[in-house]
Amino acid sequence: MADNDNRKDRQEPRSDLAAVLAAKAATLDENRPDALAKRKKTGHWTARRNIEALLDSESFQEYGQLARPAFKLRDGAADGLVMGIGTVSGQSVAVAAYDYTVHAGTQATINHTKTDRLFHVVENLRLPLIFWTEGGGWRPHENNISPRDFEETFAMMAKLSGQVPTLGIVAGRCFAGNANVAGLCDTLIATRKAALGMAGPPLVESALGIKLTPEELGPPEVHEAAGAIDILVEDEAEAVEVAKLYLSYFRQDNPPGEEPDVMALRDVVPENPRRAYDVRKVINGIADVGSVLELRPQFGRAAVTSLIRVGGRPTGVLANQPMYLAGAMDSPACDKLARFIQLCDAHDIPMLYLCDTPGLMVGPEVEATALVRHSSRILTAAVNATTPFMTVVLRKAYGLGYYMMGSLPVNPSLLVAWPTAEFGAMGLEGAVKITHKQELDAIADQKARLQRERELADEIRARNTALEVAGRFEYDDVIDPSETRAAVLKFLKSLPPVPLRTGRKRTIDNW
Amino acid sequence: MKEVKSQVSGIVAAIESEPGSSVEADQVILLIESMKMEIPVESPCAGTLAEVLVEEGESVTEGQVVANVREG
Repeated sequence: MADNDNRKDRQEPRSDLAAVLAAKAATLDENRPDALAKRKKTGHWTARRNIEALLDSESFQEYGQLARPAFKLRDGAADGLVMGIGTVSGQSVAVAAYDYTVHAGTQATINHTKTDRLFHVVENLRLPLIFWTEGGGWRPHENNISPRDFEETFAMMAKLSGQVPTLGIVAGRCFAGNANVAGLCDTLIATRKAALGMAGPPLVESALGIKLTPEELGPPEVHEAAGAIDILVEDEAEAVEVAKLYLSYFRQDNPPGEEPDVMALRDVVPENPRRAYDVRKVINGIADVGSVLELRPQFGRAAVTSLIRVGGRPTGVLANQPMYLAGAMDSPACDKLARFIQLCDAHDIPMLYLCDTPGLMVGPEVEATALVRHSSRILTAAVNATTPFMTVVLRKAYGLGYYMMGSLPVNPSLLVAWPTAEFGAMGLEGAVKITHKQELDAIADQKARLQRERELADEIRARNTALEVAGRFEYDDVIDPSETRAAVLKFLKSLPPVPLRTGRKRTIDNW
Repeated sequence: MKEVKSQVSGIVAAIESEPGSSVEADQVILLIESMKMEIPVESPCAGTLAEVLVEEGESVTEGQVVANVREG
């Protein structure tokens, strides 16, 4: 100690501090050239670089930087998990990233303890959590140190459901326990280099005798189509940008954004009722420019679910997509909508339904998918939600499909229609076949019978135009499409402040 | 060159833009009939419609490349 006391340069750390600083420095990328080279070779970012790119400069308070593997490894920086708290554009968050350069990002005794510690902090401080989950599952070297069935990580992660927003990012190989963490997140981003699966190649080979690379086993395009990942991006840089956008939907202090071309909305729905259009154009005509984030675009394509901001205010959009199945709702679309309602409701994000559906999809193929059950999920999610929503009927509003898409019984705070709105308790051609069966059966000529069917359907259609339905006060208003954004803003401004929550409002189904 | 894909399976109902002509972004190139609806296939960008790879009445599958557009 005498040496320390006699230091001439007080700027130079004493030996006790120097030991700590050296231990910390050893975990940093610049002092781990071999690890850095490995990442460079595969074209991946390091765990620390991901976190640094997301967080505001100097805002990171790391937890467990000095943690070491329980089973001594040559390189065990932070036991393969970089984590802590920080801010993103001033918003407090928690971050965690498995380090693939430490035994392939595996989960191990000490880093499980670290995750569990962070989850407690997340729960106590109610912080949104962003988790880079790349890694190979349990680290088998530690089989004799810790029985894994004692680890609480997965149970605790599941318990966070609905308490705080959780966002997973998969930017490489992610299997088994690491994939489980990903699957437990509200929303999942994956890069083109992601490979994701509940069991990695060695387990698949031993169980099924099939030899596959991780990339063959769980490529991101497959997961995107299946709905397992919500947003597919090119690389880590884009993942960070999307993560920042995603976080903006969970704060109330966004500045108002640029207004889109609202006049374009007048011409989005074609005059020809048989002509489809892309409902994304409607969403773009309502949202602040650059504020649209679509979730699961390649899954359940008869519906579109997007997070947007309108005048800076977060809003969740649920829309039918006439470009696919004419907007008829099949099981994947119903699942996507139901799940999105839960996500918005759990985090108090007001919703906007855009209805243009001929109804639920019909036919033996969709019945075989248990549409009876899948479609019901929308109503159970919607009527039990307490977050306000409004509905705009763009064109078709038929049958139970409309009923589920924010109709009056589901209790929208505002229900408006565009002049192009059509309404029917069921498909009109089907309805007249039932109500006028005797009359139609008596017409022997098939062409004449079809003509009469069409006339009868047109008569019902004429009684259910936007003006007629509004005349019966089944819409609160019929609006100029170019005023839709203004109507959404009025709705959002009418809402009471989001209550401060100390517990969970609801869980969010992982599917 | 940008590939233009059909988002749905169906039958080519009409070709609405002439190969060799200039097209705007979102301009309808052709219509696919599916689920009793006409689904427009639109140009992803402004440019020249280099070629249309299908004919009216032809069946197309989801994701099939139906035209190519030269950007600019």
